[in-house]
Amino acid sequence: MKAIGHTTWVVPDGRIPRQSTGPEPEFTSRDELFVLNTGDAEAHLALTIFYADRDPIGPYELTVAARRVRRVRCNDLIDPEAMPLGVDYGVLAESNVPVVVHLTRVDTSQPALAMLGVTAVPVAG
Amino acid sequence: MTRKWSNWSGSLRFAPHQLLAPKGEEELAHLVRRAAEEGQSVRVVGSGHSSSPLVETHGTLVSLEHLRRIEVHDVESCEVTIGGGVTLDQAGRALLAQGLAFSNLGDIDSQTVAGAIGTGTHGTGLQLPTIAAHLVGARLVAGTGEILEVGIEDDPEGIQALRVSLGVLGIITALRLRLVPAFQLRKRQWCTGVEECVLHFDELARAHRHVDFYWYPRSDEVKLRTMDSADETPSDIPIARLLDEQIGWSSQVIPNVRELRFEEMEYAVPLERGLACFAEVRDRIKARWRHLVGWRVLYRTVAPDDTYLSMSSGRPTATISLHQNNTLPFWPFFRDVEPLFCAHDGRPHWGKQHTLRAPELRPLYPMWDRFLDVRQRIDPAGVFLTPYLCNLLGIA
Repeated sequence: MKAIGHTTWVVPDGRIPRQSTGPEPEFTSRDELFVLNTGDAEAHLALTIFYADRDPIGPYELTVAARRVRRVRCNDLIDPEAMPLGVDYGVLAESNVPVVVHLTRVDTSQPALAMLGVTAVPVAG
Repeated sequence: MTRKWSNWSGSLRFAPHQLLAPKGEEELAHLVRRAAEEGQSVRVVGSGHSSSPLVETHGTLVSLEHLRRIEVHDVESCEVTIGGGVTLDQAGRALLAQGLAFSNLGDIDSQTVAGAIGTGTHGTGLQLPTIAAHLVGARLVAGTGEILEVGIEDDPEGIQALRVSLGVLGIITALRLRLVPAFQLRKRQWCTGVEECVLHFDELARAHRHVDFYWYPRSDEVKLRTMDSADETPSDIPIARLLDEQIGWSSQVIPNVRELRFEEMEYAVPLERGLACFAEVRDRIKARWRHLVGWRVLYRTVAPDDTYLSMSSGRPTATISLHQNNTLPFWPFFRDVEPLFCAHDGRPHWGKQHTLRAPELRPLYPMWDRFLDVRQRIDPAGVFLTPYLCNLLGIA
């Protein structure tokens, strides 16, 4: 199957909400990265996280099997370092094969659930 | 020539006056005698996995990497003697070939056996004591440079002191261990909610040879691990979803490989207060720390023993460990949670981060003074002491 997408993506507007309400883990406030790999080869991604006031951290390594989608909670990433909550960040995702990257935010800071979905920006080349 | 030394996590760095690796016991004894004459301290280092400054010295740092002999006396009695530089991993492989095993192991096996024993390293299991409980005899170099032999048959109190002795009762060159016949385990990992896990933990701990759980502060979920004899018919845990299963020899199944470096604080509390303490720790992390802390909290159990300075001395024990990436600040987090452990009569793991010193520690250990008496006999000049150890043990 054809690999659709790009090998480099950026998400400039990450921010994991600090507060949560409701039963967990279903209602934990979170940012989630979705990676779609339509191709026949396993996708190996390296994520680099950029912050407003310190040097980037990475790579966070992520593998997505061929013809699969994978969802990753940014809250749970600890290797090489746990990402802080309530802090602005951006993601640079670099893959060895074309993929499609999407970010979803679940914000349960208030009981009225809010969700936001953003397609990452593909980088040509 | 001075060489900088660093521990596994990188949080402990210092430059000893010299770092030596004697080829044998006599050379080590000579080195200790000379240090005593010169008023230098001598500390012995294993694999450097501890993060408390037990080995920090500006004197001589000694590695026993050349003392790696493993000698099986008698398979029937399960007794072996191993050199002070042998790691748990090396011992596990060599002993398996002889049909022997440790009754339990900790989370990793890269430490030296002597270091794991000397700091009270443990695994999990209501009926399983620390690794130090295997020690029934030892040869050691005392602070005078004299070579001593201690055995549980002639000197049971000496062994009770020596089992967890932080390297202040001499340098152990050979350990005589009483092990068990090699056995296979079925290790299963489960996912469940924290409330269900806590509600059923006591029952699970009684039903399985080993049980522990990791609590993930950023999802409030739990990964439960059970290990039982591979010969037993496995049963489901209705409150949990099975994630994976592994069957193999205990030395291959119990330890994990940890590449990602972290800092850790671990406290041992009386078993009956363990889950209440965990609940307070969980509330504190959720209220104050989960914006910075993504690492899990580990809950284990340890059987009581009669070792003077063992974390589980005289009481069935639950242990609770905090973790944080070694590249992130950890002290504000650890310091904030530590008083919760102390309020439950918590005893810190000797090899991990904590802030307690002799005034707080002495009331926690009924045999504290007896341990100090033994120390005074073996090392009257304090060759194996450092400023940190003097503060820790309350030695002027």
